[in-house]
Amino acid sequence: MPDAERIDAYARLVLDVGLALEEGQTLEITTFPETADLARAVALAAYERGARYVDVWYEDEYVRKAMLEAGPDEVVGWTPPWQLERQRMVDERGASLSLNGHPDPHLFDDVDASLVGRSRKADLTKIKLDQRTTGKVNWAIVGYPTEGWARTIFGEPDVERLFDAIAHTVRLDEPDPVAAWREHVETLRTRARALDERRLDAIRFRGPGTDLTIGLHEGARWLSGAAATTWGLSHVVNMPTEEVFTTPNAWRTEGVVRSTQPLVTEGKLVEELEVRFEGGRVVDVKAESGADVVREQMEEDEGAKLLGEVALVDGTSRVGETGLTFFNTLYDENATCHIAYGQGFPANVGGAEGKAREELEAMGVSHSATHTDFMIGGPEVDVDGLEPNGGVVPLIRDDRWQI
Amino acid sequence: MADLARLDEYARLIVRVGLNVDRGQNLAITAYVEAAPLVRAVTRAAYEAGARFVDVWYVDEHVRKAMLELAPDEVIGWTPPWVLERHHANDVRGAALQITGHPDPHLMDRVDGDRLGRAQRREEAKVLLRQVDERLINWAIVAYPTGGWATEVFGEPDIEQLWEAILRAVRLDEDDPVEAWQAHVGRLTERARQLNERRLDAIRFRGPGTDLTIGLHETGAWKGAPEETSWGRTHVPNLPTEEVFTTPDARRAEGTVRSTRPLVVQGTVVEGLEVDFRDGRIVEVRADRGAEVVRGQVATDDGSKTLGELALVDGTSRVGQIGLVFFDTLFDENATCHIAYGAGFPDLIRAAEGVGREDLPALGVSQSTVHTDFMIGGPEIEVSGVEAGGAEVPLIRDDAWQLG
Repeated sequence: MPDAERIDAYARLVLDVGLALEEGQTLEITTFPETADLARAVALAAYERGARYVDVWYEDEYVRKAMLEAGPDEVVGWTPPWQLERQRMVDERGASLSLNGHPDPHLFDDVDASLVGRSRKADLTKIKLDQRTTGKVNWAIVGYPTEGWARTIFGEPDVERLFDAIAHTVRLDEPDPVAAWREHVETLRTRARALDERRLDAIRFRGPGTDLTIGLHEGARWLSGAAATTWGLSHVVNMPTEEVFTTPNAWRTEGVVRSTQPLVTEGKLVEELEVRFEGGRVVDVKAESGADVVREQMEEDEGAKLLGEVALVDGTSRVGETGLTFFNTLYDENATCHIAYGQGFPANVGGAEGKAREELEAMGVSHSATHTDFMIGGPEVDVDGLEPNGGVVPLIRDDRWQI
Repeated sequence: MADLARLDEYARLIVRVGLNVDRGQNLAITAYVEAAPLVRAVTRAAYEAGARFVDVWYVDEHVRKAMLELAPDEVIGWTPPWVLERHHANDVRGAALQITGHPDPHLMDRVDGDRLGRAQRREEAKVLLRQVDERLINWAIVAYPTGGWATEVFGEPDIEQLWEAILRAVRLDEDDPVEAWQAHVGRLTERARQLNERRLDAIRFRGPGTDLTIGLHETGAWKGAPEETSWGRTHVPNLPTEEVFTTPDARRAEGTVRSTRPLVVQGTVVEGLEVDFRDGRIVEVRADRGAEVVRGQVATDDGSKTLGELALVDGTSRVGQIGLVFFDTLFDENATCHIAYGAGFPDLIRAAEGVGREDLPALGVSQSTVHTDFMIGGPEIEVSGVEAGGAEVPLIRDDAWQLG
């Protein structure tokens, strides 16, 4: 398939499945200059579907790097007010697309990691997380290949090969990608239902360097990447998505966990991350590289040291099938099980939706301006469900789903 | 010169001479996404000069085209509120840089002319024009070469050749570009002084298809390149710049003028433009190509039908010497004399001092959300000053400056 055609087909899939864009909607796209090709195709296809207005914001990582290296300290992590106003433009039934594909995952290697950690725009993230976790917008996160990203994965800027891999993960290589997605989403929903029916008390991960037990809420709901807005529009928030996830009880995580895949956060590579939890709280962070950026993020607020998400993925995942480490959370988290420190999703917890921040905290639902996933699953990691009476239900063995 | 070194040197010239960024200033950069390499270099240079925060907004013409072709009518020309907020943040001693160099000058060729004519965001233009008028910001417009633009100029995407032309036009081929700019700015300031001394009543252009007389304000001033903000920061708004200019009496343009170079309005190339003026107002617009987009702009408001600027440039200009048609106003207007329909500059008219915006048109100072320059000078055009008594003073003959 010639490039332009594939880009166009991808753009339409993003609108059909990811955003389920409606006529008359305003769509904000946040992306990089390096991924303009897909942003343009999405904008065009969105207008063809009757979008009212498409606002594309190209965030430049090289500009951010210059700020970190040569700008004054006071603006690190500052959000210019217009960026908040822009994001609020979609508050009323708007649509929001994050189009990533980092231009160079190693760009910030030579920048002080704690500085990079502080450079996240907390005020903007807060608005986005609120819009996305409370169903105010139909939103999606998708990726597009860049030379720098391809070089990080393959050692050479083979953009076509990366696009092939991405196309596989998002089922663009199927004759009818939309139908394939319908079926896939149903599979994930079935897994979520099976977990809900077991009414598990906790999830336990065991493997090399990992022995972690994560307590669940009594009214925990397992969800898949298929979400619904407040007005009932179904959409798929991540493309690809292979996970079923819930928000654990923020006060009931115990033990130690070692990441099984590298993670890129704030443009910084974090490898061999090891985190220790006590009484739900992170008490120790170690890593081969990038530990400081994780520590800085966890200083953000109280909720940043607590878990907001636990997600189960087995080895049948399309991302897993590619056998690649993408150095990009959107993909890597869908290759394997993961947890996230920071913001939880009230929709995952019975009775939590619509509750104020203090009530959520009292209920053990983490509240934070941060939400960072890291990967903890794989062939060597056993995943069990623990029943309230102490029974153990194997959930994943040898990277295969068991129930 | 290696590519990166060249970019860095250009960026430093922009930051030091064009913007003259002050310590602690915020700088807002608006550029086509294709200009990212220069944006990045300028950002770095600005931070090194002590900027507090550099705020970049990339414009994507392909996205804008999709909007113009397919979006509901209500958003054509609409300014999202955040855009105004972004500009207003600059009201207090901000700096602003715009980078031109259209990625594809023919991109909008097949877009409906009527929608294209209404595409300009008026609310945004109003804010920016006010900031310029009231000298709230130190600002500059500079160019970055793109493949599409190079194709327009050379018939092939020879970006390297366009780079060479730009570097020469902005004096980056000099040993000390900053010093060369100081000397150049001095020359333009001297020309403005000569014109101000003459206290001319009108300027007359005569040539093939052109016989236009433009009345001047009694208290009007001519000005050369450098500007000064309300708090005294000098800057050079256009790199390159070769013009001395004034705001003419909006009530006193008579005759017909034919453009001597193509111009690009909102992505559409306008060629062979011919405009008739009566009592200062545009009464007819003709063109070999693109007349509609000019008519759309001229119909915007009252002030878009009258002249806001008159600028004199002779053949010694660097841009003129390069001998290219750049298909970009920033360059082409500096090759030759030009006029602009739309907003004038009240700060050039002493009688307009302290006068409210709404009262300016009555004084003959054009007010509009539009300001579009088009080129009317060249070797075949004679430019004369008309004195109050009717005597004519040759200003430009055979494309050479005659005063001094």
